[in-house]
Amino acid sequence: MTGIRKFIKQYGWSYLFILPSLVTFTIFTLVPVLWSLVISFQDYSLVRGGKWVTPIYANYVEAFTLLNGIFLIAIRNTVIYTLFTVIAAIGLGLILASLIQPLSNRLRTFFRAAYYLPAVTSALIIGLTWAYIFNAQWGFATYLTRMFGLPPIRWLSDPDIAFWSVVLSAVLTLPATAIVLFSAAMGAIPQEYYEAADLDGASPIQKWWNITVPLVKSTTLYLVVLYTIASFEVFERIYIMVPSGVGNSTQTIVTQIYNNGFKDFDFGIASAQAFVLFAMIALVAAFQFRVLRSDVEY
Amino acid sequence: MNKKWFLLGVMALFAVLAIAGCAPAAQPTSAPPTAAPAQPTAAAGQATAVPTPKPTVERAAKGGIRKSTSTYKGDLNLWVLGYTPGNAFANPFDNAVEQFMKDNPDINVTITGYPPNDEGFTKLSTALQSGQGIDLLRLPSDRLPGFVRDDLVEPIDSYLTDADKADILPNVLDVVRVKDGKAWAWPLWVVPMGIYVNSDVFKEAGVELPAKDWTWDQFVDAAKKTTFKRANGEQVYGFSGFVDPGVINTWGLWMNQDPSVRPITTDGKYGLNSEAAASGLQRFADLALVHKVTPPDFGSQKDADVKGGFTNKQYAMVVDATGFAPQLKNNKVNFEIYPLPTVNGNKLTVGAVGLIAVAKQTDDQKRLAAMDLGRYLTSAEVQEDVPPGSNVSTGFYLAPGARKSVKVVDPLDKFLTVLPDMWITPLVPDWAKFTRLFHPEYQNILFGKEKPADAMSKIADEAQKYLEIQ
Repeated sequence: MTGIRKFIKQYGWSYLFILPSLVTFTIFTLVPVLWSLVISFQDYSLVRGGKWVTPIYANYVEAFTLLNGIFLIAIRNTVIYTLFTVIAAIGLGLILASLIQPLSNRLRTFFRAAYYLPAVTSALIIGLTWAYIFNAQWGFATYLTRMFGLPPIRWLSDPDIAFWSVVLSAVLTLPATAIVLFSAAMGAIPQEYYEAADLDGASPIQKWWNITVPLVKSTTLYLVVLYTIASFEVFERIYIMVPSGVGNSTQTIVTQIYNNGFKDFDFGIASAQAFVLFAMIALVAAFQFRVLRSDVEY
Repeated sequence: MNKKWFLLGVMALFAVLAIAGCAPAAQPTSAPPTAAPAQPTAAAGQATAVPTPKPTVERAAKGGIRKSTSTYKGDLNLWVLGYTPGNAFANPFDNAVEQFMKDNPDINVTITGYPPNDEGFTKLSTALQSGQGIDLLRLPSDRLPGFVRDDLVEPIDSYLTDADKADILPNVLDVVRVKDGKAWAWPLWVVPMGIYVNSDVFKEAGVELPAKDWTWDQFVDAAKKTTFKRANGEQVYGFSGFVDPGVINTWGLWMNQDPSVRPITTDGKYGLNSEAAASGLQRFADLALVHKVTPPDFGSQKDADVKGGFTNKQYAMVVDATGFAPQLKNNKVNFEIYPLPTVNGNKLTVGAVGLIAVAKQTDDQKRLAAMDLGRYLTSAEVQEDVPPGSNVSTGFYLAPGARKSVKVVDPLDKFLTVLPDMWITPLVPDWAKFTRLFHPEYQNILFGKEKPADAMSKIADEAQKYLEIQ
């Protein structure tokens, strides 16, 4: 008891500073998440309230079997989308940040700002722009294929292609955060390492591979986790580019949660699917931390 | 130095690519349409609407059913499908509400719009479930059973007068008796689908307008002849239609295969896993797959693109509901309305009934005021107060009315002939869920990715569950 009093006396004032964010976090995040966990075991209606389902895991079973098992397709699509977009984001981010690095301060600042533009542009606008680009009748991508004499491609209306068009749009929308963070991390690498490598006669590629890449590993880990979570939660891009679903080929986990929650008002099933997503992200993030954990210090 | 320039060059290339990737690239390219299709984000139904000047009618209280019998003083919130200030769905309601408020100065009616698609219905359902900010709602009949099941709307039986009962078409009133034999909404109008034929495109293609008692073969023939490339390289397509979980616009064109091809058969069974249904679906899909008379993104187009394409003379024919006609008339598009072509002698159109429902109320006087407004908005008097020719080209009614006393004008009167052959969407609470199950399979059939028989059999068990009347 004395220990607690001593702790409060010594550190209590500092908790006052984080109290506002703690309160808002509790009200707007923690309580809804816990409530959602409860709802995931209930048949819940805004009007009638909730009643427990039997068996208690029924919503979790129905989450996977509802609408001809579409949730499994959604999981598969989400995983593929995540794999491609995360690898592309990290790869492109690393390459572009490396290309910016040798420039003068002024140019580097210019390119960082330019590459950061997509991050401050509304997802809605980016989605709409890509929908225009891939329009099967008069889109820019259609124009390009015509120019090369290729047959017309139904970018967003062929079930075999639509999903990949969405992936391509995500890959080609530059990874703004990755470029800026990698650029900052590269700026913090001591120049002595590169000078020593020069003395040893290392080529630029060797220096990049053996010095730059390992020394930004902690940033890489952070970005991999960040982009993985964002990709697992992909929604706006799909929702705007392919609202009709294209025969379910473009469904993702979050579009399913949205459909069940806000179109069918099956909050129990939507909550169950949300917790499946939570479990998947937690597992993948834990794995990534284990594999990419950095032991490099400089 | 050379290395630096090389790096700069590579970066400049990436910068150009990045900008190209993010810049709006919506300009028509090699084959510019005469006008770009309507903006895809525009809510369906408002794509081609041009706001017209407000009528200069001096309104004064007229009495009659316009005057509420309640003592209620305060606000009424009316939600209207497809309403965006100034559009073809908004002007009739704005005018009518203005008249109602003149007769009832103590009642202030506020209109909120919601788009006629999945998202719009989500918005409406959320408002109803929360019980806030909604007193009356205009909705299509297929959404009513779900709202009745969830106890979100009021029955109207106690408010139906003898005059109402004598005037409302009996079969339409039966449509809203979805639970306990009670009527749960005021029937407003009947909304069938028709084929809109763009006379200018037919003329440009040198094709005679077909006879109105046309068959499927004649329809396909017309679609083929009106699929052509203009001198400037622009492709014109013979036919298109909107395919979405929230609408049934195109269904009549394959359900006409046989009277047995219905989602629910007369004995309450799921009816699309039959040979006849498969034949009908395949015949319809062949418009895209074999005859190539549809745009390349047919099946996943947005409603605004379908409507915009027709208005801009990129499509010769589209299938759509009655509400499109006033928009076209406002935009001075030359068009004709045809019934759906017959197949094996089967005449059919599909559609729904437009309704005005009153949301659950705790205040008796407010409920009475809402009912009085509901009655007025579905009456012949509202057509007198909002006549054709002001900023509402067809008057208040955008479809044939649900009362005998309501007279509709050109071009809506052309839909009257198809009403006897109209199939109305089944009134089951889980209809929306069924359409979400059916829609991806339907799309796959239209895209040529699945055989109709396989696709329709695959969903049979689950479909049966959703189509059962609960």
